[in-house]
Amino acid sequence: MKEHKKTCAEIFRLAGRVRAEVMINSSESALTRFADNVISQNVAERSESVSIRLMDKGRVFKTSLNQTDGASLASAVRRALAALRLQKKDKNLLKPPAPRPVATAAPGLYSPATAALKPSFRAAKIAGLARLCRARGMKCYGTLENGVSLLTMANNSGVFVSHGETHAIYSVTARKGEGYGWAEQYSPDASKIDYAAVGARAMDKAAASARPSAVPPGKYTVILEPAAVADMLFFLGYSGLGGRAWLDGRSFASGALGKRLLHPSITITDDALEGPAAGATFDFEGLPRKKVVLVEKGVVRAVVHDRRTAAEAGVHSTGHSLPQPNSYGPMPRNLEMSPGESSLEEMILSTGKGILVTAFHYTNLLRPKTVEMTGMTRNGTFLVENGRVTKALKNLRFTQSVTEAFSNVEALSKERETSGSWGKMCVPSMKIRDFNFSSATEF
Amino acid sequence: MFGLCEEAIDVLSSRRADFGDIRIVRTRGQSLAVRNGETGAVDDSETLGFGVRVLLGGAWGFASSGLLTRAEVRRVALLAVEIARASSMLMERKVRLAPEPSYRDFWQTPFIKDPFAVPVEEKFRTLFETDRLMRRDRRIKSAMASMRFVREHQWHATTEGSRIEQVLLSSGADCRATAVDGAQVQERGYPCSHGGQTLAMGYELIDLLDLPGHAEKAAAEAVALLKAPDCPSGEMDLITYGNQMALQIHESVGHASELDRVLGYEESFAGSSFATTEKLGKFRYGSPIVNLVADATLPGGLATAGYDDDAVKAQRWHIVRDGILSGYMTNREFAPRIGLKRSQGSCRADGFANIPITRICNLSLMPGSAGSLEDLVRSTKKGIIMENNKSWSIDQRRLNFQFGCEIGWLVENGKIKKMVRNPTYQGITPAFWGSCDAICGADEWRLWGVANCGKGQPGQTAAMCHGSSPARFKKVKVGVKAG
Repeated sequence: MKEHKKTCAEIFRLAGRVRAEVMINSSESALTRFADNVISQNVAERSESVSIRLMDKGRVFKTSLNQTDGASLASAVRRALAALRLQKKDKNLLKPPAPRPVATAAPGLYSPATAALKPSFRAAKIAGLARLCRARGMKCYGTLENGVSLLTMANNSGVFVSHGETHAIYSVTARKGEGYGWAEQYSPDASKIDYAAVGARAMDKAAASARPSAVPPGKYTVILEPAAVADMLFFLGYSGLGGRAWLDGRSFASGALGKRLLHPSITITDDALEGPAAGATFDFEGLPRKKVVLVEKGVVRAVVHDRRTAAEAGVHSTGHSLPQPNSYGPMPRNLEMSPGESSLEEMILSTGKGILVTAFHYTNLLRPKTVEMTGMTRNGTFLVENGRVTKALKNLRFTQSVTEAFSNVEALSKERETSGSWGKMCVPSMKIRDFNFSSATEF
Repeated sequence: MFGLCEEAIDVLSSRRADFGDIRIVRTRGQSLAVRNGETGAVDDSETLGFGVRVLLGGAWGFASSGLLTRAEVRRVALLAVEIARASSMLMERKVRLAPEPSYRDFWQTPFIKDPFAVPVEEKFRTLFETDRLMRRDRRIKSAMASMRFVREHQWHATTEGSRIEQVLLSSGADCRATAVDGAQVQERGYPCSHGGQTLAMGYELIDLLDLPGHAEKAAAEAVALLKAPDCPSGEMDLITYGNQMALQIHESVGHASELDRVLGYEESFAGSSFATTEKLGKFRYGSPIVNLVADATLPGGLATAGYDDDAVKAQRWHIVRDGILSGYMTNREFAPRIGLKRSQGSCRADGFANIPITRICNLSLMPGSAGSLEDLVRSTKKGIIMENNKSWSIDQRRLNFQFGCEIGWLVENGKIKKMVRNPTYQGITPAFWGSCDAICGADEWRLWGVANCGKGQPGQTAAMCHGSSPARFKKVKVGVKAG
């Protein structure tokens, strides 16, 4: 933090009377990757990036660098100032904001021990998993990573805010013959990861997935585990819950505020301030993030805004700016879907015929207005018959509108899982009827 | 810079490393965009740093830093050694690298006009003009024009004695119009999607692309798509055009032929490959007219360089020859596992901070004998032309794929009949390539850049090119509908 302050002060001195905004991101991360029950890649990285946006009389220029010594900063600012004078004036350019009170970050997002984990710690955890896999005639693949980041946003109008956060992610894919299983856990604190449970879940799914059968593509009731739900929610948020797409008429929510477009059991909130998807409490202009209820009991209530889209929409910014300038507009980055009353087990018990999906793979958007997307099932797809899982299935491709799927909800689980680090999502499992699988595979 | 490199080489040699290297990389980038008459992006960047890789006792370690001092180089080299020792705790077989001569060389991308010498305001003039020309119809809700330039200066030193300096340059640009009318949202880009056309060239590429000269057509087609009928559903002949073939090659052949994936080392993330090693030299990947060639020497190719990041000299080789699987993308670690005496040289890292991994090289479909696009259309009874990729998805073994394109044209009895919107198609890789019955000739062959290929954990981005002429595939499932 002290170093960031010093760097900002130097940049503001070099910028002189020109308005300057600075973003600094310092990070250290390490990742051990494993395949075939052995370590296959083992890396560590220390990085620093400084982004300087200069503005003067409607002109803007931005420069970025990763060297923070005086000479490098002076050279970058000098070059940017020279380029700034030659830029076209933009009558709509907003000057950097004045400081506003920013909430303290939620507790538990920083763990010094997680920042300092040694390669030997990661190797030992993976060695334990590999022993268990060998004993069950399986192979394991995956990653164990840890890291620490410090983000600072500042400007020479008085904004200076910082957010430090650690992360640990343990991701395991287990394979037994043609059977695959997967599990993953994220936490800001590596000691809170249940390494044994993650490994066991992946191995159990792999064991159950051996000798998968084929089912024809078509419409099925599906029970989506949280990773699959998060995949769909990402596309809903990315394509439809930001102010720019909404104003352009490209979003499913365009012209639909106050309308019930999703099932009444669905409530979606962006909340960086507290809860399971909490993170930095300011946006990339240093303004305070607000909690925004985006969808309430199926009714579209709001989209997120930065200062620019808020002005166009005649509302206040919700503090969701991405680094400026950008063409994407504001984005929700801390999405949370409210839990339901059910459980994964109850969803299975209540299903006459359906498909249980562990996760999706390689998903992509087809039509933004209906959030129509496609992708594959992966790492454990099962047939549910008469209230129980009866067999493993070969993978299927789905082609499905998210808004339609989220309208056809039959149950949500009480339990939820959080994924990600800076951009986070916390979602339950979900049971959906009439989910469209458009083709199949041979594995 | 090679002086700093020696600091790491000394540390690694003194620890009796089987192999070690250091790559110092200075990257200059510039990204500019105009959206709806306003500056959408203006970022001039420079990064400098180094990565140290060590193979010690047959196990890998890697560490990187952006601080270029002798003390930091030593610290990072020692950290890489510590990490390699941790890797050796869980190892089945010792890594042995395929041999390669050592080189002392300098190589750089040929170019005519240095993009960083062209004033930013001149670039913005072109972008603002392009943006203005796209916004003449009120239904265009979003117009965007952009340019990007990257120059990467690398100093690579290995414990084997290689000292390789390379300067790699790329330029790219595009414009994109989004039309909205009620429930319809349609996009059209020039010259292609995914950030536009990017090639290993200087600013002469931007001059050749002539964005303002194509802006109005792109916008007019986006508007026309609003009222066009939907792509019909069913089976018909497909003619791939524009950068759609680049994505088809990239996803269903490029990634499928990365040997690390084939051997299972990407299983946890991006997936594996159906093109397993026992199929090499035997498996029918496509029809006999299908020839796919990897080429790190291809002029303009984004993966073109003198050497890869394993310090292996650039090569050209077949991945598919006369329809048969004939090769893989390799690095020095995995090449010996399929009996190769030498790596094909397809190992690259994203900047200084990442470990080099097996990557798709420039990979192109060789031209055929079907003449021009007009000739191909004339010989098609019922089909659809699909141009420029819009969405892509493929399973973890690179078999079942679905692509969506920006625009389609129905072909009936040898003539283009009408434009259709939201064209999509699905297929299974070997069956799809096996159905290829015509490839246009060399006059129609174009090189397309893929500047944002993601792979690995931690995630890395790499760039490569795919060249092709328009090609026809028989009885393809098109017009895939949601439920």
